[in-house]
Amino acid sequence: MAKRPSAMDRFLEWTLNLDRRWIYLLVAVSVITPIVVPIGLPVTTTSSTRSAFEFVETLKPGDVAWLSFDYGPSSAPENDPMAEAFLRQCFLKKVRVVVIALYPLGGLGLANNVLAKITAEFPNLVYGEDYVNLGYKDGAAAVMRRLGDNIADAFPTDVNGRPIGEFPILRGIHDIKQVKVVFTAATGLIGEYWITQVHAQFGTPVIIGPTAVSAPKYYAFLNAGQLVGMLGGMKGAAEYEKLLRAKYPELDRFYGGTRLFTATKGMDGQTVLHTVILLLILLGNIAYLRSRARRRVTDVGGGRGPAGTRP
Amino acid sequence: MSFDFGRVALFIFFFVVPVIGIALGLRSPAMRSRIPIITAFIAGMIPILSLYIPKGFLSGPQGMSPRLDRWLIIVAGFALLLGIVNVVQNNSRRIARRDAGWAFSVVLLAGLLVTGSLGIWGAVSGEGIGFRADGSTTPFKWIEDRFFQPLQSTIFSLLAFFMASAAFRAFRARNTEATILLVAAGLVMAGRVPLFELLAAPFPALQPSAASVSLFLGGLTEWIMNIPNGAAQSGIIIGDALGAASMAIRVILGIERGYLGLGAGE
Amino acid sequence: MRWATRFRLLAVLSALAGSAAWAATSSSAPVPANLVARDNPGDSGGAILLTWTPADSGSLPSDSIHIFRAEAPAFEWKQLAATTPSAGRYVDQTAAAGHVYRYELRSGGISAAVSEPASSRDNWFRNERANSLIATIIFLIAVLGSIAMARSGKPLFIRKIAGLNAVDEAIGRATETGKKVLYVPGIQSMDDIQTVASVSVLGHVARATARYGTDLDVANRDPLTFASARETVRSAYLAEGRPDLYREEMVNYVTYDQFAFVAAVSARMVRERPATIFLIGHFFAESLILAETGQSVGAIQIAGQADPTQLPFFVATCDYTLIGEELFAASAYLSREPVLLGSIRGQDIFKALCLIVGIVGIVMASFGNNWVAQVLLTR
Repeated sequence: MAKRPSAMDRFLEWTLNLDRRWIYLLVAVSVITPIVVPIGLPVTTTSSTRSAFEFVETLKPGDVAWLSFDYGPSSAPENDPMAEAFLRQCFLKKVRVVVIALYPLGGLGLANNVLAKITAEFPNLVYGEDYVNLGYKDGAAAVMRRLGDNIADAFPTDVNGRPIGEFPILRGIHDIKQVKVVFTAATGLIGEYWITQVHAQFGTPVIIGPTAVSAPKYYAFLNAGQLVGMLGGMKGAAEYEKLLRAKYPELDRFYGGTRLFTATKGMDGQTVLHTVILLLILLGNIAYLRSRARRRVTDVGGGRGPAGTRP
Repeated sequence: MSFDFGRVALFIFFFVVPVIGIALGLRSPAMRSRIPIITAFIAGMIPILSLYIPKGFLSGPQGMSPRLDRWLIIVAGFALLLGIVNVVQNNSRRIARRDAGWAFSVVLLAGLLVTGSLGIWGAVSGEGIGFRADGSTTPFKWIEDRFFQPLQSTIFSLLAFFMASAAFRAFRARNTEATILLVAAGLVMAGRVPLFELLAAPFPALQPSAASVSLFLGGLTEWIMNIPNGAAQSGIIIGDALGAASMAIRVILGIERGYLGLGAGE
Repeated sequence: MRWATRFRLLAVLSALAGSAAWAATSSSAPVPANLVARDNPGDSGGAILLTWTPADSGSLPSDSIHIFRAEAPAFEWKQLAATTPSAGRYVDQTAAAGHVYRYELRSGGISAAVSEPASSRDNWFRNERANSLIATIIFLIAVLGSIAMARSGKPLFIRKIAGLNAVDEAIGRATETGKKVLYVPGIQSMDDIQTVASVSVLGHVARATARYGTDLDVANRDPLTFASARETVRSAYLAEGRPDLYREEMVNYVTYDQFAFVAAVSARMVRERPATIFLIGHFFAESLILAETGQSVGAIQIAGQADPTQLPFFVATCDYTLIGEELFAASAYLSREPVLLGSIRGQDIFKALCLIVGIVGIVMASFGNNWVAQVLLTR
């Protein structure tokens, strides 16, 4: 006669067939709780982020950097902190920044918002001299090819329709080859085009800030030397923020408070969620292995699997 | 007037040739399938040649290849009209027949009409679809900020829930490969976040040890991402590139016709 | 006081000695000669190549020779760059195509050599891409050679691809249960080769659904893909002799926005519960939402994508996944046309060549010789 399953066995069986709605509830609680009760967990940096940060640190005052908003509102929590951190670092080092947007649905709106937010922190900056917003252009790869010939071909005016010849920041910058670094905060393919079109053809150094889901692909480019650095997802953004705060303690007023969203704060939620998912996977595997062992025992004892079939 | 060789060539390849082909095709059905294949050949060869021939008429800013890129955007714009007609037709049919969920078709068509009208009005009036000159938002931007962006973020955030349920179901140690997948995924998930610091949060004395373990796992994660993952990604990317090149040759030479709806021998 | 005087005297003597040394070196500085300016070969214009007879720079600094440029018709000299006499060449990358320039080399402020007028123009071949052209030609030979071999009737082996073997079984299951087949050809347009491959596979699937009388639903995000898919499905039903089964609503356009599209298609899966779902093409972030929703309604799912980013999600949630180039091989595999199979073989031959070159390059690089990497570098 088969042994009655214990309470533990029944619990593990229930876990094996867990209704996905319990999982959704656990995920919701895991993400919401750290927002309500901030934990403040530490962040460790990785070499890909450090090399990006150190490369920007080598830029000199007056150098021109290029920031491309290649993402939409859906990945803003991951990409916004990257763009903000890069802008803050450039403005602190008096590096001049040219901002464009190549993502069709919402890229320009995000560029406007982030630029407005960060330039408000640096009241001495002059539009047209220290930074400029050239707006959105369609056809990412074609735009990049034209940037290699002549920036004015691709962006004849800024976002407000003023001819780019009026802006001192672009005097002496004829094409993308004269730019010291391109930082692309990206989701999807546009980030990859900066590597395969701009860096490969014109040699301009590229730093990419992809979403976490795309980051694994870019390790191949990083190892091949086609990227000078990478910020992988929100974790990469949090690492960059940590490096920024260590080098420029005056930025603590933006990253230290609890009201504004930063990648460092977002990592709390991610940490709790990862922990919960790992525990669920562990539980699921214990349940699975236990049920497999029980089936083997039942088989050896001469029983049959469900519906008379072999398990 | 200077002779623009590129423009003339494009006119001949993409207007004169298809028109002649269609005229011939009216008499001979066999010709009908030839014209798309010839057009595909020409459209495929131009960008390839422009890669190696830097002459202005071919690869310059006003050359044949960039012009073809721009034409694609224009053609896609017209195709969008086709798509909108299809959406309106299907949903109108659903409303007329009172199919299940027909009320949602009413909502869809109303949304399409309102948003489309505001967008067109923004273009016609010169106000645009973003911020006005005085800094206030246009109605189109209002809809974008209040409906479009939050809805987009909501659907995107579903990924977190689905990823958890997919991970729970997929990462089981069923066989050797599944076990390797499980262990690698677990290590990377643990190494990307300060997991042990979180678990040791109620025990301050354990924090230094937790930090050491996190540091070790972080290094291991970096190694997994750089070496096995980097190698596998490189291999897949190379294979993809060759597969794409092979597929492209088949399309350009007219060997592959499935995308035209033609089968073997047609 | 004595020390201060000695120090001042030492400083003055050092300065005099330095000036004398400078005068000595500059008066005997090597003078570059035979300056020739011409169009930089093998580019798209916008560059002029300067060459001169190199002279030994000795201990001169790296910017001892100044290059001046003057543009027609005014011909006002402006400094362009500085280099050493031993360099022997310089490429002016800022010359506007068609404009006439003259160049001058000055050493120590004195004109050393002046060139004839020159202008840049685009050339017929981009020299820096010669390696890419050779590789393309080898690839073409491999593919076309294999196609010719296939046409001659020689049987070709292609390994089993489980996902493609399951296509008929999956459609059969939909037929048995009386439910529909849902096909999503990715979210990119027809300029993406993965979408072209997907629409080819759709042709095969449509022929099967026409043959078995199974309902088909093709949801599109891109308008060009929608137009192409509609023609493909209509032609497939005609070719199978079942035009009566074809309905206009079979191939439908949903919306251009990525997440609105996935919300609509997911809702369709939940309401209509298709028995079989094909997710073949280029997907992005919405891949997991679609695949997980399909899994939740109990459909058999066959997914396929070349780009590696979303593949892990498909592998975790779908019954079969076509990985990487298996997607491009799909149309050849399903049709078993010898000519298409031949191209797969040609591609594999080239891949084997790449592998060999890669291994040779790695071994050489391990011994400090980067020749293979230099040869393969493409701009």
